[in-house]
Amino acid sequence: MLRTVRAWLALVWISFVRLLWSSNTWIVLLPLAGCLLYLLRRRYGAVGYSEAEFQKFSVFLMQIYVSIVLPLCVLAFSAGSISGDREDRTLLFVLVRPLARPLVLLAKVVATIPLALGLAVGSFGLFCRLAGQVGAAAYADFLPAIILTTLAYVALFHVFAVAWRHAAIVALLYSLVFELLLGHAPGIIKRVAVNYYGRAMMVAAGQADGLQPPDPQWFEPLDPIIAGWTLVGISLASLAVAAVVFARREYHDLS
Amino acid sequence: MFLAFEHVTKFYGPVIGVNDVDCRVGPGITGLLGANGAGKSTLIKLASGQLRPSLGRVTLGEHDAWSTAAKRLLGYCPDSNHFYEEMSGREFVGAMAALSGYSRRERRQRTEQALERVGMSELADRRLGGCSYGMRQRVKLAQALVHDPPILLLDEPLLGVDPRGRRELNELFSTLADEGKTILVSSHLLDELELLAERLLVIARGRLVAAGTPGQVREELEDQPLVVELVSGESRRLAALLAELPEVRAIELADDTLLVRTTHSARFFATVGELVLEHEIDISRMRLLDAGAEAIFEYLG
Repeated sequence: MLRTVRAWLALVWISFVRLLWSSNTWIVLLPLAGCLLYLLRRRYGAVGYSEAEFQKFSVFLMQIYVSIVLPLCVLAFSAGSISGDREDRTLLFVLVRPLARPLVLLAKVVATIPLALGLAVGSFGLFCRLAGQVGAAAYADFLPAIILTTLAYVALFHVFAVAWRHAAIVALLYSLVFELLLGHAPGIIKRVAVNYYGRAMMVAAGQADGLQPPDPQWFEPLDPIIAGWTLVGISLASLAVAAVVFARREYHDLS
Repeated sequence: MFLAFEHVTKFYGPVIGVNDVDCRVGPGITGLLGANGAGKSTLIKLASGQLRPSLGRVTLGEHDAWSTAAKRLLGYCPDSNHFYEEMSGREFVGAMAALSGYSRRERRQRTEQALERVGMSELADRRLGGCSYGMRQRVKLAQALVHDPPILLLDEPLLGVDPRGRRELNELFSTLADEGKTILVSSHLLDELELLAERLLVIARGRLVAAGTPGQVREELEDQPLVVELVSGESRRLAALLAELPEVRAIELADDTLLVRTTHSARFFATVGELVLEHEIDISRMRLLDAGAEAIFEYLG
C-alpha cells in the first residue's frame, strides 16, 4: 500500500514537472497574451466602475475568455498529459510499472489540475486586476464559475487523451464545434457545451452588480446551483469514463 | 518463476497476430526467435501486459500478465528507443525506481546498483538526448533491472550495441540467469540467440513452430526444405545425378539452370562438391535462393 502511494506521488510529480516544462506551457501563453493586449487597449480600469463597463467586461469574459481562451489553455495541458506521453512513446514505461491504470490516470489528472487551474485563476485574476473596479466585482462574482468550468474541461479533455492518440487535435475540434459554435447557438442545443453552464453561473452571479441577462432567445438562463452541479457532474462522469477507457484500452503504438 | 502462454491467440481486427501459442518459459535464458512481423513483438507485448489475449491466458507466476500484481514481477526492456529525453540516464532510472514505489534512499541505492550492473555508472549523468544508441540500450536495461524483478522481458536488447558491449551484456544476462531469473530475449538473429539462450522458441506467422535447445532448433531448421540454384552447361547430366541424392526433393530444369529443392542444405552442398569433382561437371553458379532467416521461417510456418 505504502509503495503504491509512493509510486503514485512520484508519477504525479514527474507528470507535473514534464508538463510544466513542455512546449504546451508556452503555447497557452499566446491566447492569454492576446486577451491581455485586448484588455490593455480597452482600458476598463481607466473609467471607474459603471454598470455599462461591468456589462462589457462580463461579456468579454463570457464570450471570449470562458468560451474560447479557457478551453484552449486547458486542452493544451489536459490533452497532452497522457496522449503526449503516448505520442513520444514514454507511456510504456509507466504502464509496465506496478500502478493500476485508474491510478495512473488519476495521477495525470492531479498533475494537470494545478497547472490548468493556476493558469485559469491566475490569468483571470490578472485580467480582473487590469480592469480595475469592474474587474474586482467580476473576480468576486465569477471565480467559482471559472474554477468549476476549468475542472470540467480538465476532466473532459482527459477522456479525449485516453481515447485518441492525437487528442489535442480532437480537443481543438471539439472546442471549435461544441464550445464555440453549438455553445452559442440559440435554443437547447447549447447545453452540449461545458461553457454554457459556466456562463449560466456567471450570468446569475453578475446580476447583483448590474449585469443584464442576455436575450432569452439566445441564452436561456439556468439556475446557478443546477449549473454548478452539472459542471461537477461533467467532471466526475468524465473522470469515470476516462478511467474505464484507460483501464481497458490496449495501446498498440507504444513501442 | 514461470511465464506461461496458455493457448494464446491475439487478433488485430481480422488479422491474427499470434495463433494458439502454448508454452512455459522458466528460469534461465530463453530466446524468442522470429523474422520481422512473425509475432515476436505481439508475444512480448502480451507478456508485458500491454495487450490482452483474444483467446487463452498469459501468466507471470500466479498472476494474469495484464494485472498490476504481475507488473511487480516484471522487468521490461522494450525495443523502442524513446525516453524522457530531458533527463539524464541516472535521473531516468531513478524515476523508474520511484514509479516502483521505493523510498528516496532505496531509490538511490537501487539506481546505482542497476547502473553498475549495466556498466553505466560513470556515464549516467549525461542527458539521454545526447547518449549513443548503445548507452541508451544500457539505460533501458538498467530501468528493467532497477526493481530486481524475477522475470525479464528483453526485446532486441543487443540491437545497436557494439561487439564489446554485446559480450558484456551477454555476460550480464548469464549472471542474471544464474541468479534464477526467468529471461525471455527476443531477436531475429539465430546466431545471436544461439550464443546466449539455453532454450529457443521459434515463431513464424504467429505460430510457435519450434522449441528446444539451440542445437535441436538448428537441426530442425536445417531439415527444412531450401531452394538451391545451379547453373551448368551440363544441366541435364547434373540433374540426373542430383535426382539420386536422398536429400533432394524436387528438381526444376530450365535451359542451363537447375532449381533444386533440398531438405538438408549442409549435407547437400557437401555431396554436390563431391559429385562435381568425381564427374568433372562444370558449375558456373551455385547459390541458395532463400538462405535468409526469413525464408527459413517461411518454411517453418
